[in-house]
Amino acid sequence: MAVATCSRTLEQEYGIPTAPISTFEFAGFLTDDLRFHGVPLRVIYTPHPVVGMPHSVLRGYIEGKDPATERTVIEEVVEALTKPVGEDEFTGDFAPVSRTGVRQALLEPDTEDNLQRLFYERGWTDGLPIILPTEERVVEMLAGTNRAPDEVVTEIFLHDTQEYLKFTVEMVAIMGVMAGARPEHLPVLLAVASTGHPSIPGSTTPFACMLLVNGPIRNEIEMNSGIGAFSPRTLANSVIGRAWTLLTINWGYFRLKKQFWSSQGNPVGYNNMCVAENEERSAWEPFHVQKKFRSEESVVSLFRGWSFVNNVVGSSQRSVGEDTCVLLGALPGLFSSATLILDPLVARHLKRNEGFQTKLDFCRWISENFKMPAGQFWGTDLIHMMMAPIAEQGVEPYATWKKLPADRLIAPYHNPENINIIVVGGETSPMWKVSDFAYATSASVDKWRAKPVTDGCADGTCGLPDKS
Amino acid sequence: MATLLHSAVLNPEAYRTVRAADEGAPGKTQSFRSLAPRLESLHGKTIYLVDTGFGGSGRFLDQVQAWFAEHMPSVTTVRRRKTGNIFRDDARELWNEIKERGQAAILGVAG
Repeated sequence: MAVATCSRTLEQEYGIPTAPISTFEFAGFLTDDLRFHGVPLRVIYTPHPVVGMPHSVLRGYIEGKDPATERTVIEEVVEALTKPVGEDEFTGDFAPVSRTGVRQALLEPDTEDNLQRLFYERGWTDGLPIILPTEERVVEMLAGTNRAPDEVVTEIFLHDTQEYLKFTVEMVAIMGVMAGARPEHLPVLLAVASTGHPSIPGSTTPFACMLLVNGPIRNEIEMNSGIGAFSPRTLANSVIGRAWTLLTINWGYFRLKKQFWSSQGNPVGYNNMCVAENEERSAWEPFHVQKKFRSEESVVSLFRGWSFVNNVVGSSQRSVGEDTCVLLGALPGLFSSATLILDPLVARHLKRNEGFQTKLDFCRWISENFKMPAGQFWGTDLIHMMMAPIAEQGVEPYATWKKLPADRLIAPYHNPENINIIVVGGETSPMWKVSDFAYATSASVDKWRAKPVTDGCADGTCGLPDKS
Repeated sequence: MATLLHSAVLNPEAYRTVRAADEGAPGKTQSFRSLAPRLESLHGKTIYLVDTGFGGSGRFLDQVQAWFAEHMPSVTTVRRRKTGNIFRDDARELWNEIKERGQAAILGVAG
């Protein structure tokens, strides 16, 4: 947490006494932070929240009680800066917490119902029933890769305990079994796990992620990139996306107010919009090729953001570009990042009828034509938090935008390279989605595969059980 | 009716191994380190009010500044917005300015 980190630096490197202030909601987090760093900062707590409160309420916080001590906040501030540092401040419990310990590899034999309950109560699931990871099932799952079960796939750093969790191939296989995945899905899960990206990043916001698969493995494992690709219907899309969240949970990212803070949460986390790109029906090059992978390589790409807005019935009153600009108006424009998910009908229309020969051509049009008043841009708290300090450092165009009158129009998506386009859909209607999701990373699937397989899937609609 | 027992279910927690952070990194070395020396009083001092960037922090520090103006007018307060990333300690220029021109800092508001 920046308040504690910056206070430590000022105290110890600059010799400046500080009074760090936090809302009481984060007292546990700060207590952990103090314990692990061994610096007894004099943290002062206010009621929660501060964001959105009028001046009168904030004044009341300052002159009112610190919920942790029942003493007046402003008096504590003055005392934090003037009270001599005493011996008593070095006798607190600053011992590291160790969660290390050998656990039984096998659970005690029990009934299906009891074990399901145990998995849920231990916090190992997403709330839904899981497939119990028996030894036999996990061995079967491991047949999906040529990698050794004990190979470390990733290490996850946990801020609250200052420890690293090592995740092996076998652990990822266990999560795959629990999610209902098949052995042929395992290479995709391993590629996702290898990135170390959690599906639900630690944040009080409704942060969410999207998982995109490109390349031959999409069809080999019957992923759906066609009709209803985002709907809860296709096995591969459902279980691969779910497994990423089970991985995240068992990485330790769902311990309440340790790593998991999302105030409202986000239903996207159930399967992380796991989908394949409809490369066969797309008018443009696949997403992974844009990211410099070979077209015949299988790749996972991860995105993260908060919101999606749907075009609902197509666009006949305005152009696709103009309608996209309307939809983008609901989003903040953070770091010029957006992701557009277009039905193949929309992509072909843009190429054939509107002359956008590449995805980047359309992104450039969006970048140049979407405008927003500077006041609206800076008035969004997320932008104020993340971009105002960058503007203050003189980074353009933000430094210039910060000085503009509130009604002056700016182009928040100034960098077309940060606008992503993915083609997904079954061509029943020319629709698309607009989101604030930003591209995070990509990883090759092929090195995790047991065997290379190629197969055809003419319209992208693989894996639906009742396709015929 | 016989109840089927599952006898070979793996414990997920047994398959994630933990190691402490690297030598010298937070969490490994737990020797206590002191705070900076405190001021005898705030009278006549310059205090930097550093907005770390979370929503509402600026308004909150406005009120802190107003409180000092009303109740401790000999204190000079300087408002600054922390530069850089709101999650990182990356404002060396500002820390240098505080060291050069100020005697104390109030930072907030986390949350």
